[in-house]
Amino acid sequence: MKKRFLATLLASLMAASLFTGCGSSSSTESASADGVEEITWMFWDDLNATEDLISLGYKDTIDRFNKDYEGKYHVNVVTTNLEEYYAKLNALVAAGDTPDVFIVSPGPNLTDYVEPGIAAPLDDYLAQDGWKDTFTSDAVFSQQTYDGKIYAVPLNTAAACCFYNTEMFEDAGVEVPTNWDEMLTACDKLQSAGYTPITISAGTAWCLSMVAGYLCEEEGVDLAALADGSASWEDGKLESAATKLKDLSQYFQPTAAGDTNDVATANFYSEEAAILIQGSWAIGQINGENPDFESKCGVFQFPGTDRIIAKSDSLAMSSTTKHPEACAALMKYFTDDTAQRYTAEVGGKIPVTNVEYDAEKAPAQLAYVMDIFENSKGTFGFYNESMPSTEAGSHFDDTMVAVFLGDMTPAEAAKDMEEYYAANCR
Amino acid sequence: MKKVSIPKIIIYIFLIIMAFIYLAPLVWVFNVSFKTNSEIFTAPFALPKAPTFENFAFAWSAGKLGIATLNSFIVCIVTLLLSMIIGSMAAFGIARMRWKLSKLSLTYFLIGMMIPVHCVMIPLFTRFAKVSLTNSLVGLILPYLTFALPITIFIMVGFFESMPNELIESACIDGATIFQIFFKVCLPLGKTGLFVTGLMTFIANWNELLLAMVFISDDLKKTLPVSLSKFVGPYNTNYSQMFAAIIIAIIPTIIVYCAFSNQIVDGLTAGAVKG
Amino acid sequence: MDKLLRNKKAIFVFMAPAFILFTFILFIPICQSVYYSFCDYNALTPPKFIGLENYKTMLTDKTLLIALKNSLFFLIFSCVTQLIMGLFLAALLTNIDKGRNLFKNIIYLPCVLSSAALGLLWMFIFSPKLGINQLLAKLGIEGPLWLMDTNGYIILPMWIIAFVALWQYVGQSMMLYMAQISGISKSLYEASYIDGCNKVKSFRYITLPLIRPMVATAMSLNAIGSLKFFDLIFNMTEGGPNHKTEVLATHLYQQGFKYFKYGYASAIGVLLLVLCLIVTAFINKVVKTEQYEM
Repeated sequence: MKKRFLATLLASLMAASLFTGCGSSSSTESASADGVEEITWMFWDDLNATEDLISLGYKDTIDRFNKDYEGKYHVNVVTTNLEEYYAKLNALVAAGDTPDVFIVSPGPNLTDYVEPGIAAPLDDYLAQDGWKDTFTSDAVFSQQTYDGKIYAVPLNTAAACCFYNTEMFEDAGVEVPTNWDEMLTACDKLQSAGYTPITISAGTAWCLSMVAGYLCEEEGVDLAALADGSASWEDGKLESAATKLKDLSQYFQPTAAGDTNDVATANFYSEEAAILIQGSWAIGQINGENPDFESKCGVFQFPGTDRIIAKSDSLAMSSTTKHPEACAALMKYFTDDTAQRYTAEVGGKIPVTNVEYDAEKAPAQLAYVMDIFENSKGTFGFYNESMPSTEAGSHFDDTMVAVFLGDMTPAEAAKDMEEYYAANCR
Repeated sequence: MKKVSIPKIIIYIFLIIMAFIYLAPLVWVFNVSFKTNSEIFTAPFALPKAPTFENFAFAWSAGKLGIATLNSFIVCIVTLLLSMIIGSMAAFGIARMRWKLSKLSLTYFLIGMMIPVHCVMIPLFTRFAKVSLTNSLVGLILPYLTFALPITIFIMVGFFESMPNELIESACIDGATIFQIFFKVCLPLGKTGLFVTGLMTFIANWNELLLAMVFISDDLKKTLPVSLSKFVGPYNTNYSQMFAAIIIAIIPTIIVYCAFSNQIVDGLTAGAVKG
Repeated sequence: MDKLLRNKKAIFVFMAPAFILFTFILFIPICQSVYYSFCDYNALTPPKFIGLENYKTMLTDKTLLIALKNSLFFLIFSCVTQLIMGLFLAALLTNIDKGRNLFKNIIYLPCVLSSAALGLLWMFIFSPKLGINQLLAKLGIEGPLWLMDTNGYIILPMWIIAFVALWQYVGQSMMLYMAQISGISKSLYEASYIDGCNKVKSFRYITLPLIRPMVATAMSLNAIGSLKFFDLIFNMTEGGPNHKTEVLATHLYQQGFKYFKYGYASAIGVLLLVLCLIVTAFINKVVKTEQYEM
């Protein structure tokens, strides 16, 4: 009796596991029995657990799409956290299970998917029904275009700025800095007033490297020339940028070396530090976690540069999808007026289409960012996303962290980057 | 009455300190998991003012630890039962059946104990990916099962070899087939061995992180250690929910351990000694 | 009966499932892994034979050298401390009667818990604002940044992780030694007391030599375990800050499943396997000598 029970249990468990096993493959395959075309969408934040307003907006978009197309199309969402996103995406690609639509950062990350033909060109779909005309300009596609073909649709634009706590600035009697020396003076004053001047994450290397990117821009580093070998990392520009980074680092919070991106941002909205240097995507996170903070939060441009670092989340489509029409329909939902209005009014990011939105409703910070954006003399990409490969980008990030930690002098860092480029990039 | 000697007292004091070092972290995380996020900072070591179960509910549903617990359970039970059956079958074949290569095949299986799972991860992953076994619990069960076999076979060979010949002889005279002898006579007698190996298999797989993390990316198929690492990760600041998640992950093991600690400790030690 | 036990069909049925699993899930992949380690191979292109290139890269890969250093540190630290602490606890516990089981079970408890969960737990305990630093703050001390400090040859976070690993796994060594000690005949000790030995001396001259084979077993277990070490590091520091707490297993994971350099990651895997084999052989050669009659 007992044995039979065990045998039945075993059999049913086996069956259950086999069943769940097959479930995975069928979801990515073609239309299921009732004629609904199933597609997958992969994203880097857990939509059910997140408090990030931009992510919540994406969730709304998905829900809206699934409701409107009920019986015709259906989207299944695959999420990971940001850190492991590309690892998981590549795993799915390698398994021949590429998600039909996936989010990707422009730059070498997107190149990784365009060059082997994993991402599909989207021009035909953009041309349909005047979809492309809804975007603000063709310029929004510049980072997504390869050989004249567009491989991804941008969803919003964010600019890297300095967010600051206006109360702390007033209390310390600090004006918004407009150049590098003023920045150091401001930090000095904040520190003597008893505040932590800057919160930053070196645990999440790209956060620190973003600041390094601005400093390199100030020094006039030319990434294209470095990549083709007509310039050298050891021409002193990186060295002085890294020295500036080192100077600035005395004003970082003491736990900067290990704090992750989220922890560093939390330090800012929980009012433990005066300045956060972050992309404007953080607005959604800041206002989502601490709504009371919005009124105290000011924004200024990273002092000393004319151009700003900008980045757009983009959606790419798998070249092997069985339902390209469904994918295009889904992508359109992300750039329709409802979604773009939400992007601006709630999420606080810069919309990519000509949508009219209510500036009153939008987070106060967005208006500041828009001002900065409009007054800037152009944009440039994240340094680690503007290098020849993702690995070169990671190497740059790590080198900058090493300078911050004191493992390398600025001169050693320049030598190291030059050696890396000579060996891997030219 | 015997006098209590000074060295004994010192030993006990030392052991009590050790016990404190072992239990304090667990008690601490248990305590803070009932607090709100701000309370963790304002009153870190006090008892929670108004214990809340919300953290647990959040971790269980939004953190997907509920489904992960179920997945872990399915994977572990299936692996456990299959490894017992397949392992003891092979062990019987090696220990009792008469054929030339039996010693050699034992060596073949025992080599498996030396091999770290890291070394086979990449070929397994690429191959499984081709046949849709990644992102499926079956794809996890297969390697788990394989890595459980060497120790199962090794321990069970010991058990079967120590069984008296007369048992098999008498069953043979009664006209039993070889499979009846195995399933009805030998396997029931190897219960202790099965318990030990089963225990080792279950605990090892319940806690396994690396393979599961590499093989599974679908939230609904993740096992407990993976969902936990993903939920807590280094990227969050909702501490109380994360502490609740840690508690959810370890509490089943603690309860089972409390109930059967002596058997578990002795069983695992016996397994390790033989291994 | 002999005929029954020589039945080829039965042998086949008994052996086939295990044999098939073993060959396909373990043996063939190991061979493939060795082959991949000589290839340029990533997720999106097929493997291409490049000879020893991957192994040459290792020599210049700074992170790999850090990972190797950390792994070896770990190996030595855990072998030494587990031996000392394990023996010490075993000796103490075999000398008391009341509460022996209780203490034994408490110290063994973390061995059965998920190291992923315990890693997270200790990560919070050693985080800047929680746990230990909150406790120190009560005493008016500003605690250090336990898991972020990067000074020294073996940095503070590595020591912390090593101690957490000791905390988690010492119960295993302790139990192994206890099992061996309790197997030693009482009469040996009684004889030694009559000869005028005290407890310490009898431990030195009877217990230690007699548990030597077990030292080899426990040490090999520790050694292999510490080379494979992944979960605790992954959840305590993820190899950070700036890859300074990377070990071989985490580096393999990063290279293989973050940058998808399958060939290079396979080479790291082969290195790991070779280390495991060398260390086990070494321990068994040095520590294990002839068995004594007990």
